[in-house]
Amino acid sequence: MTPERWQQISRIFNAAISLDGQERAAYVKDECGVDTGLRSEVEKLIAAHGNAQSERFIDGMAAEAAAPLLVNDADFEPPRLSLTQGQQLGSYVILDALGAGGMGEVYLARDSRLERTVALKVLSEEIAKDQRRMQRFRQEAKVASSLNQPNILTVFEFGEVEGLTFLATEYVDGQTLRDFLKQKRLKLGDILDIGIQVLAALDAAHEAHIVHRDMKPENVMVRRRDRVVKVLDFGLAKVSDKKSSGNESEASEADTAFKTAPGTIVGTINYLSPEQARGGPIDERTDIWSTGVMMYEMVAGVLPFSGVTSSHTIVQILEKDPAPLSKLGNAPPELERIVEKAIAKSPDERYQTAKDMLIDLRSLKKRMDLELEIQRTSSPTTMIPAIRTEEVRRETGKRRVLAVVLIGMAIVTAAIIGINVWRSWRVRSNGGAVAPATAFAPGERTLTYWITVQKFRDKKPFQDPFTIPGEMIFEEDYQIRLSFSSPQTGHLYILNEGPASSAAPEFNVVFPSSTANKGSSLIAAQQVTQIPEQSWLKFDAQRGTEKLWLVFSEDAVPELESVKEFAGPQTQGLIADPARNKVVQNFLKTHSETKPTIEKGERLTTLKSPGKLLVHAIRLEHH
Amino acid sequence: MTRVPRQHDITQLLAEWRDGNQSALDELYPLVYDELHRLARRYMSRERKGHTLQTTALINEAYVRLVDQKNVRWANRSHFFAISAQIMRRILIDHARRHAYAKRGGGAQQVSLEDVATVLPDQSGELLRLDEALKSLAEMDPRRSQVVELRYFGGLNNEEIAGVLNISENTVTRDWNMARAWLYQQLTGSGAN
Repeated sequence: MTPERWQQISRIFNAAISLDGQERAAYVKDECGVDTGLRSEVEKLIAAHGNAQSERFIDGMAAEAAAPLLVNDADFEPPRLSLTQGQQLGSYVILDALGAGGMGEVYLARDSRLERTVALKVLSEEIAKDQRRMQRFRQEAKVASSLNQPNILTVFEFGEVEGLTFLATEYVDGQTLRDFLKQKRLKLGDILDIGIQVLAALDAAHEAHIVHRDMKPENVMVRRRDRVVKVLDFGLAKVSDKKSSGNESEASEADTAFKTAPGTIVGTINYLSPEQARGGPIDERTDIWSTGVMMYEMVAGVLPFSGVTSSHTIVQILEKDPAPLSKLGNAPPELERIVEKAIAKSPDERYQTAKDMLIDLRSLKKRMDLELEIQRTSSPTTMIPAIRTEEVRRETGKRRVLAVVLIGMAIVTAAIIGINVWRSWRVRSNGGAVAPATAFAPGERTLTYWITVQKFRDKKPFQDPFTIPGEMIFEEDYQIRLSFSSPQTGHLYILNEGPASSAAPEFNVVFPSSTANKGSSLIAAQQVTQIPEQSWLKFDAQRGTEKLWLVFSEDAVPELESVKEFAGPQTQGLIADPARNKVVQNFLKTHSETKPTIEKGERLTTLKSPGKLLVHAIRLEHH
Repeated sequence: MTRVPRQHDITQLLAEWRDGNQSALDELYPLVYDELHRLARRYMSRERKGHTLQTTALINEAYVRLVDQKNVRWANRSHFFAISAQIMRRILIDHARRHAYAKRGGGAQQVSLEDVATVLPDQSGELLRLDEALKSLAEMDPRRSQVVELRYFGGLNNEEIAGVLNISENTVTRDWNMARAWLYQQLTGSGAN
């Protein structure tokens, strides 16, 4: 920024902040004229000014903030607290001090009764004497323990032992959303993830007719490890009763309580709903509002309602529309719509339930994921994403790592699909790949196979391919490759049996074909055969059970040699001759009675069958 | 090491520094540092509960203890405050840096249970980021940066700042508003596009 620009901005800024609301907006607009960049800078600065003021940003003195640093001196020591490591407090054994705050001290502790790690908040004497605060804790314990939802912080116990009052909760290693907001601008994907989880928590609470009433970034924790969100502090929550109007006094009492509670972080009022600000009756829709405010803040980086003083803020909450999100951040119009609907002044115009808002956010998230994929992947081809030879080789090296990490993930996924569209049946011998060394006994057939899975989104590869040993549960948008290898020379045939709908199943010849292994079924010892050679096998949504038949024989199998001619991309290998189809069926039926032993490793499956012939079907089911 | 440095040395060094001798600061720094540090500790232990530390009172006391009043060659205490603010800033930043370093190595867990906002580790990071932002501000607008330094690190009020910088109190207020909003933007990332 040039000094001239800086001076220009500061001149307009200084004049503007001495004005109020509309006058201010008009002034800024007037001064900046057509220079929208200038206007945006000034507006952001004005918003920052409001936030800085309400949050009392650098309002104190550095030394106050840093006094504990001075005391703790050069080496950081954890705050010296009253309980020490190994000390027993009822059934809790103190593991570590986590921190100290206005309310007391927090420890990491082990509950020796239930063998779980907890965060133990030991309340200061002062707090323990404060009936109102104690009521809050009791309330929190009661409410949170009645809500069993993964996005709500679990409260285990609120109790007293040896004269110390404590609250035992689930231990979450993470940061509050407030910390996140301070550190950096959140990505859109993160914002949606957080919003979705917050609403899932609220949905569960609201289902139980519990209104949180104090939703704000300080009460939303994000776990470091997996970014799972936990909503905390149901200390002000209450059972809602939309029909009754008798809760008015209670509502205002609770609101006063948190407005004036000592130690409450200044800025809390920024999340108050208009009905809270008015002291009116409160229901679930208040939480929707506060969540909307948080989402606005996450997207824009500034609060939607923030005045120079608390009363200015309240006026804004009651009367002013915030700057449109599309002007402040790069929010998609749909998100802007969702947030605007959440912070409609009248509760009747807002989302009526957390679930409704949740649904909208989820579908937006889905759409955005998809769009992101389209942007990220560049290949315009529809089906064969041209994984080149060198990429295939690289992928082989990656397998080791990928497989271990991803198998777990893949197995959880649900839908299953049938193999349907087989393209490009070319099989090639992959000389570069090292075949797994498998021991074999004479008079035994051994075949090892593994499946490389590539997730596809919108017909384009998504994430790195990973390797699995066999029959996993595939998602609709997965595509696969199969690889085979044996320490023995032999004849390999692979056939696909379509969904078994009738007594006469249809078979498709997958391997060999004119393009795969040059039409020969013979594979060399240690040769790695990959099908398809360069593209992928795609699943579709056709229901039923697909079988992928593997036949590995010391000698050529006449019944199968005779159907090789059907292999090819045009017919997808379908054995068009019912008679020969029947022959294949009989052959497989007869010989599959001898089941091979299956050794499933982390990455590979090894089949072993006594004799000269091995027949096995990889089953791919979908429900 | 003597706890209280000889008053004469400090006064002399302050004067030299004011007169443009930069190396005087290097000598001055550890002396003032020790004294402020010692006082800070005492204040903290005395007021452990409230965690309040009156910077002004602290600097005042340091001033009285360190500076030979009879030999003060400048007209008001403002210069001492200005210098103290700088030194205070350096002391706090040094502490924060070591603290952050110890934290990285020490593996202190961060916890967030509503009221644990006062847990130590975060403070150091925030202070370091503020310091960096303040340096950027100084490049663009040295005076506004100095206003923040005097107020936030030195604990001076607007009137005192006006005296030190020889500007009107109104200007101090305006400078403060602008600087604070800008720093807030920098630290929260709310100004980034």
